Amino acid sequence: MSTLLPTFRLAAPRTVAEAIAARRDHPAARFVAGGTDLLVNMRRGISSPDVLIDLSGIDALTEFRIDDNGVTIGAGVTIAALARHEVIAARYRALAQAAASIAGPGHRAMGTVGGNLCLDTRCIYYNQSEWWRHANAYCLKNRGDTCHVAPQGQRCHAAFSGDLAPALLVLGAEIDVLGEQGLRRLPLSQLYIEDGKAHLALADGELITAVRLPPAPPASAYAKIRTRAAIDFPLAGVAVALATSGPAIASLDVALTGTNSRPFLLAGTDALAGRAIDDKLLAEVDRLVQKQVQPMRTTLTSANYRRVAAAALARRLIADLRPA
Amino acid sequence: MSVDAGTRPPRRGVPLIDGVEKVTGRARYTADLDHAGALVGRILRSPVSHGEIVGLDVSAARNLEGVAAVVTGDDCPYTYGVLPIAMNEYPLARGRVRYRGEPIAAVAAVDAETAQRALELIELKIRELPAYYTPAEARAPDAILLHDNKPGNVEREVHHQFGDIDVGFAAADLVREETFSCAEINHAQIEPHASLSEFDPLTGRLTVQTVSQVGYYLHLMLARCLDMDTSRIRVIKPFIGGGFGARVEALNFEIVTALLARAANGKVLMELSREETFITHRARPHTDIRLKLGMSKTGRMTACELQVVQRGGAYAGYGIITILYAGSLLHGIYDIPAAKYDGYRVYANLPPCGAMRGHGSVDTRHAFETLVDRMARELGLDPFAVRRANLLHAPTRTVNDLVVNSYGLPECLDRVERASGWKERIGRLPPGKGLGMACSHYVSGAAKPIHFTGEPHAVVHLKLDFDGGVTALTGAADIGQGSSTMVAIAVAETLDVSLDRVRVVSADTAVTPKDNGAYSSRITFMVGNAAIDAARKLKELLIATAARKLEARPEDVECENETFRVGHGEQSALRFADVVAAALVNEGAITVKGAFTCPPDAQGGKHRGGAVGSTMGFSYAAQVVEVSVDDATGQVSVDKVWVALDCGRAINPLAVEGQMQGSVWMGMGQALSEETRYLDGLPAHASMLEYRMPTIMDSPPIETHIVESYDPNGPMGAKEASEGALAGFPPALVNAIANAIGIDLNELPATPDRIMDALIERRRKARLSRALKAAS
Repeated sequence: MSTLLPTFRLAAPRTVAEAIAARRDHPAARFVAGGTDLLVNMRRGISSPDVLIDLSGIDALTEFRIDDNGVTIGAGVTIAALARHEVIAARYRALAQAAASIAGPGHRAMGTVGGNLCLDTRCIYYNQSEWWRHANAYCLKNRGDTCHVAPQGQRCHAAFSGDLAPALLVLGAEIDVLGEQGLRRLPLSQLYIEDGKAHLALADGELITAVRLPPAPPASAYAKIRTRAAIDFPLAGVAVALATSGPAIASLDVALTGTNSRPFLLAGTDALAGRAIDDKLLAEVDRLVQKQVQPMRTTLTSANYRRVAAAALARRLIADLRPA
Repeated sequence: MSVDAGTRPPRRGVPLIDGVEKVTGRARYTADLDHAGALVGRILRSPVSHGEIVGLDVSAARNLEGVAAVVTGDDCPYTYGVLPIAMNEYPLARGRVRYRGEPIAAVAAVDAETAQRALELIELKIRELPAYYTPAEARAPDAILLHDNKPGNVEREVHHQFGDIDVGFAAADLVREETFSCAEINHAQIEPHASLSEFDPLTGRLTVQTVSQVGYYLHLMLARCLDMDTSRIRVIKPFIGGGFGARVEALNFEIVTALLARAANGKVLMELSREETFITHRARPHTDIRLKLGMSKTGRMTACELQVVQRGGAYAGYGIITILYAGSLLHGIYDIPAAKYDGYRVYANLPPCGAMRGHGSVDTRHAFETLVDRMARELGLDPFAVRRANLLHAPTRTVNDLVVNSYGLPECLDRVERASGWKERIGRLPPGKGLGMACSHYVSGAAKPIHFTGEPHAVVHLKLDFDGGVTALTGAADIGQGSSTMVAIAVAETLDVSLDRVRVVSADTAVTPKDNGAYSSRITFMVGNAAIDAARKLKELLIATAARKLEARPEDVECENETFRVGHGEQSALRFADVVAAALVNEGAITVKGAFTCPPDAQGGKHRGGAVGSTMGFSYAAQVVEVSVDDATGQVSVDKVWVALDCGRAINPLAVEGQMQGSVWMGMGQALSEETRYLDGLPAHASMLEYRMPTIMDSPPIETHIVESYDPNGPMGAKEASEGALAGFPPALVNAIANAIGIDLNELPATPDRIMDALIERRRKARLSRALKAAS
């Protein structure tokens, strides 16, 4: 029942190099930025790192640069800053919509882009108090050996629920990752793995430092399904980027969150290039979504609903982005 | 807000007298109180749903440095509860646990870390028993009993019949029967539970400051469970961050905190987490309803048959009252000539349910107003017309012997019909948009109290001293609903003094006269009347004094605006301070007492359980809800609500408006998104994230209309205003959804997945019928 924050030491690096060094010195440490995800889990006894490395004092992480090469967004930029940025709202609409839809104003003021991309996966059997999880013999993701969602299976099905990732995926984002071996740049899609217990392809001690977006993205939009109009994580979230040539599709990208252990780009949309955006096409997209999403009983709302609603959102967003 | 002027002009709204303290953050809630030197209390809770405690070793915890006390069921062999006939719960489990989260032991330690470590050192062995999570499982023939004296795990069966239903159904042109299922919900008051107890070993006195709505009942239960004389106990209510029924009975943690304080010979602060606050529960049970109605072609109801099954949780709590209310409050709003009621309150291995705003009436009202609407549709009648065909005519008594002295429902119907543009808009809205309406009512306090003592229903003391200040002493707990402001207004107006001359001291059992507490919306009617009674006595005394000084007869002395005079003579006017000074000569400080008692003829019928539902006056409400339904995602948004409430007379229209909005909003939560969910008895909903109370983003504009029917017995004509408008929301919403997309939902809440399931089912049926047609 305890809601006590476990005791920890706080490291306060001023540069990313110091942050990486601090992590090397304290292998069990965790990075913390806004804390809206990690601290909640710590209060629930899910994680009790001895050291927290506070990234909020590192100026380099709050870079927000727009130039001919596109947009660079530091991992430490807050969700609120992203949501209200005029260029983002005008040119990268899906991203602005995703940012504005995250949790509530307090979370957006504290939460960061990097934190949202690295959001822990969620499950109704996992995001509970220590007393609750203990009474339930824990779970595969934390201290236990059974996934209560799929007891016969071998893996954890906790769902990824970040809102920014699908928007960034359809916008073709890349991320900068800094570690002991130096800086590497990779497409955002390569960050994620379909495993609720280990969904991030980051090496030990690596840190996302920035997100990069190309300069001339197609029209885009993001929407999510949730029970309430604020606070809730997405039961399903869908981002769409659509470029058209006359009435036909030039390129279509769809990405989903909330339904799987990772956010992912819908496969098979390349084949839709050249097609008119009509009911038949929308029905095909609906089928693609319903086939590829894998919602499980990780939320109190049924998995089937999340599947059907995800497909409905994809249809709607594409129809809405269709040129008049 | 608009107030129906009626024959008298609307009264002026007054901000709550404690509002400034709250909005400036000066108000001290239980957890904010000075707890310097207090030990930290923590509770060990059952990890299983049902089991026998076969081992409980607290020695290691007791020996831990920094632990001042450890208590278990051995420290309290006394049960507690609401009804004298149904106290079957121990503050700390003895021998058996019946739900996950039930308190088993508790520690008091120097700090939270030590208390937590001590809990981890307690060795607990439980032999598990089969657990039942639904009434059907609990009532199965081979189910073991949660409580040995309750066969079939049924806490209480109620069977009432009034009038001849066979004749009624035979006379009907249309008879319909439907089943409804309403999810369990929780009050989710913003302030988590907390209690601060101090035991003084030198004087043997216990002082408890806590979140209770019912200091008096808690006082009784503390005396019982700690085996103390009531005179050695003091219960004080600090500011309270919402009740809604969550704190309307003595709660286990309050008694446990006191047990710890006594064991530690000191002061203990117990702060429950949000999860523990949810587990403490005592809210609206999961309810399954079967309802059958008979109706004539003109919409006149001929007979009604209602069956209600409530999943009450592991202990009695308010259960008997809830299952009685569910039947009796079928009545009191429409003229139902014949009705049969069968109610079953069933035990289950889940946290105990209890009272919640609209206690017992809400789920019954939901089924009733929904079915009435569907039958009206089938008969081609307008929803307003069908309700108008069944109105009561006050004064009257219902078939189950409830007294109705004032009845503003017809006016409420007119007001929301007009305000919402119903006649012009119904049936003409664009696709996906709909209007729905429903009515509701609630009691202004139970005319017969739970603990019948023969005492008045309410007593208020007024103290007048040298400073000219009038202090009203009342046991009534202001839990945010504005009762202290109501008392201040009642006193100030009766005395004709300015409002800020009156100070209200409330809910401290060492100082204020006993009050039964803040529940079933009793305070305005009962305490309001007692306050007016006290103020009249004080006024009489002051007028007599003024008459002496003015050498006039008391009946010739007028008191207005703190001035006493005979006729219009300005020369002979006496200021309030002068009259007070004169009144105190030879007497000293003055104390007067006012009281209120409900007359026996209002205390319900003679049948068993007949007292429940009886009241001095019902409030009445009608509301129209406008929705948009997205048939691709099943999401519902509420665009606007028009609500009218007959509260007799709005003593403080500003507070009434707030209570109406709050009622509608709470009904909206139950209707749209709120529900508790247990996974093998573990509460999966026990946070403000998973318990989906609407956010401000989900909240529509609520247009309030106050209707004033002037109850002949109400204080200034007033009745309750805090609950009556709740129960109409869920059916109005479901009726609006039906109007928008043609889907009839029989389950609450109307979450997107439930609506989607209904849409998919409709498409499946349509396909099937097309296939059948093609085949034939």
